[in-house]
Amino acid sequence: MTKHARQYGPLASIIATALLAGAATPALAAGVTAGTLIENTATANFEEAGTPRSVDSNTVIVRVDELLDVTVTSLDTGPISTTRSDAVLTFEVTNPGNGPEAFLLTPEAAVAGNDFDVTIRGVAIDSNGNGTYDEGVDQILTGPLTTPVLAPDARVTVFVLVTVPQTAADGQTSNVQLTAAAATGNGAPGTTFAGQGQGGGDAVVGSTGALADARGRLNSAVASVQLVKSVALRDPFGGTSAVPGSVATFTIEARVSGSGSVANLVVTDAIPAGTTYVPGTLALDAGTLTDAADADAGTASDASGISVTLGSTAAGTNRSVTFDVQIDQ
Amino acid sequence: MKTVTTFLLACAAAVSLTAPIVPLAAQNAAPAVSVDGDIKSEKTVPDANGKTSVELVDPASFLPGDRLIFGQNYANTSAEVVTNFTITNPLPEAVRLAPDADPALEVSVDGGKTWGKLSALSVTASDGTTRSATHADVTHVRWVLATIAPGTSGRVAFPVIIR
Repeated sequence: MTKHARQYGPLASIIATALLAGAATPALAAGVTAGTLIENTATANFEEAGTPRSVDSNTVIVRVDELLDVTVTSLDTGPISTTRSDAVLTFEVTNPGNGPEAFLLTPEAAVAGNDFDVTIRGVAIDSNGNGTYDEGVDQILTGPLTTPVLAPDARVTVFVLVTVPQTAADGQTSNVQLTAAAATGNGAPGTTFAGQGQGGGDAVVGSTGALADARGRLNSAVASVQLVKSVALRDPFGGTSAVPGSVATFTIEARVSGSGSVANLVVTDAIPAGTTYVPGTLALDAGTLTDAADADAGTASDASGISVTLGSTAAGTNRSVTFDVQIDQ
Repeated sequence: MKTVTTFLLACAAAVSLTAPIVPLAAQNAAPAVSVDGDIKSEKTVPDANGKTSVELVDPASFLPGDRLIFGQNYANTSAEVVTNFTITNPLPEAVRLAPDADPALEVSVDGGKTWGKLSALSVTASDGTTRSATHADVTHVRWVLATIAPGTSGRVAFPVIIR
């Protein structure tokens, strides 16, 4: 029987090891999950007066503490080109710690060096996880701006919704900063929050200070329109005097500058008092337009003046509208 | 076989009188050796001569990457010489053997089946290829002492890192 005991002894310890291996700790970049118990027991085997004996040590149990860390990254591929309207900046908040943790979010529009500051409309979580802000789908945070609890190594996409002010000029830039801080607390690396770790251990601030920020950048792309009006006179005597019967050719040049485009651009002008529109003289970029309201872009009459619809016009475009009037006799 | 093994284990655990594995007297007597484990960390402190020394202290925290010292203090409390003394310490899943462990330490990378210095061991992957064992592969460490004199004590220890 003694022989049996010797034979099965090692087998028993192998079985015990196999059971331990069954309760494997997840292999995470962040390390062992907070709250995991490390239990250490040694076994001594020896012969006492020729008799084999075995004795176990006491079991020393320690609990893995929670490491508080966070990273924030801008997911925008570059500066966001925007008009004076609403824009969305995209960030990613990651939990590199070893315990589930929520993070407090603080968006900041007034960043040093900004040409203009946006208005922050809200902060939203990418609820459907598609990486794009979906109005009415992605949850806009209210009250304390806090991410959902992120598991170790988990990440969440956060949208900062902003409005670009009317004062933003073309080519100006603005940074928007998003800060995330561990909900349990932050501070210098090594700062300990006793008993506040996941699973009952301590929470200890890691190398990131449990506080991180990233900036997204906006480029204001504003198109502006400048109208330059000029006149050329031809009098009945071959000169350029403004006398009754003289014909005045007005040129209205519409210059669109900046970036992007303007929509629904319409050039209108009244026929000056004491003059009469010369029918059939309305032209756009030297192409004649009919006076009637029809398929082409222009209408012209004494009573209503001229109107030329240019529609959506890209920055860098110059359009020229011309028409003649005759000084009344 | 498995049933028998389980039965024997259960009997051993209950120190059953019906399983005369070893003589009754020895079975019931307190073992000659006690083993007392601890978990410490090392702290470097300056001494009076301006040099530094390393002290064992209670760890302030247990975080992934932290280095700990697993120690076992043994003592022969009997009046008899103890022979063929082996302390086996399975490594908990959550730790790995630290790279600065004594290269002469006797270790196992296969759950305690085979033993040797780490440099002499290898690991076979599921695809049949083998590679040299690393510190992270170690599953058990052990120390073997031929004898422990009556009334003497000692300490064995090894460094680990929380995974």
